Amino acid sequence: MSRPLSYLDPGSGSYLLQLLIAGALGALFALRIYWSRIKRFIARLVGRAKDEQDE
Amino acid sequence: MSRTNEGRGHPASFRDRDGFLYERDGVLYRQVNRAYAAHYDLLMQSGLYDRLVSEGALIAHRELSQPGLVPDLAYKVLEPDRIGFISYPYEWCFSQLKDAALATLDTMADALEHGLTLKDASAYNIQFRSGRPLLIDSLSFIKYEEGQPWIGYRQFCQHFLAPLALMACTDIRLGQLLRVHLDGIPLDLASRLLPWRTHLNPGLQVHLHLHASAQRRVGSGRASLGRGRKGVSRLGLRGLIDSLQRTVRSLSWEAGRSDWAGYSEFHNYDEAATQQKVKAAESFLDELRPASLWDLGANTGRFSRLASGRGVATIALDFDPGAVELNYRQTRQTQDPNLLPLLLDLRNPSPSQGWAHQERQSLVERGPAGALFALALVHHLAISNNVPLGMIAEFLTGLSPSLLIEFVPKQDPQVQRLLASRADIFPDYGVDGFETAFNPYFEIHRRDPVGDSGRLLYWMEARS
Repeated sequence: MSRPLSYLDPGSGSYLLQLLIAGALGALFALRIYWSRIKRFIARLVGRAKDEQDE
Repeated sequence: MSRTNEGRGHPASFRDRDGFLYERDGVLYRQVNRAYAAHYDLLMQSGLYDRLVSEGALIAHRELSQPGLVPDLAYKVLEPDRIGFISYPYEWCFSQLKDAALATLDTMADALEHGLTLKDASAYNIQFRSGRPLLIDSLSFIKYEEGQPWIGYRQFCQHFLAPLALMACTDIRLGQLLRVHLDGIPLDLASRLLPWRTHLNPGLQVHLHLHASAQRRVGSGRASLGRGRKGVSRLGLRGLIDSLQRTVRSLSWEAGRSDWAGYSEFHNYDEAATQQKVKAAESFLDELRPASLWDLGANTGRFSRLASGRGVATIALDFDPGAVELNYRQTRQTQDPNLLPLLLDLRNPSPSQGWAHQERQSLVERGPAGALFALALVHHLAISNNVPLGMIAEFLTGLSPSLLIEFVPKQDPQVQRLLASRADIFPDYGVDGFETAFNPYFEIHRRDPVGDSGRLLYWMEARS
């Protein structure tokens, strides 16, 4: 892994922690996005069914 | 920036070698160095600059065709929009720091979408305009390289997350640790000061407690970066930002629940007297027409709003975190473009500090103000803090040439409350003593009684 050159020292401990946690946090983030898409999809289905009933 | 730095770089703009600020003929410029050219072009061409500026999240600038202060290094010279009054994180209330933290994270998420990343996360890069945070450093962006972790992660946790967690979970006054630790609160210190229950908050557990322990382990050689290990994926980085956003949002502080209830003082007022005070303040503002005003002891900003509503650039200063919190929330809601509530204890105002005492300016150095309000304030300074009236006058004359000041006599219930549990060692505290003490510094322009409260309101002008 190449370390970017910057004027700011990112701190070795902070770097190591990111390497350790980023995978899990990324997976959680992806799950959350998919889950909200599923919820929106279901809400739309239910909404459409309701509209049809109303007609 | 009121201090003159003609022909020199700004004293707080020296760490980053990608560019710097300087002032010439009273105009503030930013030189972009050649080393930063590719990143600057990407910021401008990716659409990120336009998006952030249109959202009011990033300061706008104009590109100029002039050589710059150090022409050999210069790629571009910019003229950024001017911020009237620079404030510091240790002068912000809880919600100001929280909003600044969220603005930094939102900007980072936007940057990632445009192929850039924030190379730092300094709270000093944020200022407040119209009740909302604004990133003032246009050189904070660099091209994102796949696999690269967030360089600003440690700084974000030190500048924002640690003080917010300490203020919300331990004690609101711990925000003042930022005044000592200019690069943010060390994470091991924050971790030690936080209550045990914060280990149960997943965000605080990871970004503060585990973070502090990772720093300790690497520092003592018990863990290493592990060469050859893969970097952080773009999704991982997005997950990190999302987790920080959730953690910051989960922190809250309510002014009403605290012991800080000074802002209720208004309720003790007789409404007719208050109306008279409002009228006097209005005629002071309408006749004087100052460009700027500092309201000392502004409480929740009732009188500050008389000025800001008239287009006067107004700073509302109070030492009570609860009062500043309520004032800021109202300012944020109304998006008042002329009002900035800040936390400041006049008994020990913000000093000049940082490198060579020049990085962060004292309150006085950021003046003078066009005018001052010092309403229901003098008795607190003179009696609670034992400051002789003459010394108060001398200090105020260094802040502004024009002053609207209220004198609260000894028989007033507020003063009686202050004297209830102490010896009255203030024989000169009276109308005559007050006028005599102020006389060498100020001329009385007008004097009005405040209803039949016994209080007096003075419009004073500094003697030249």
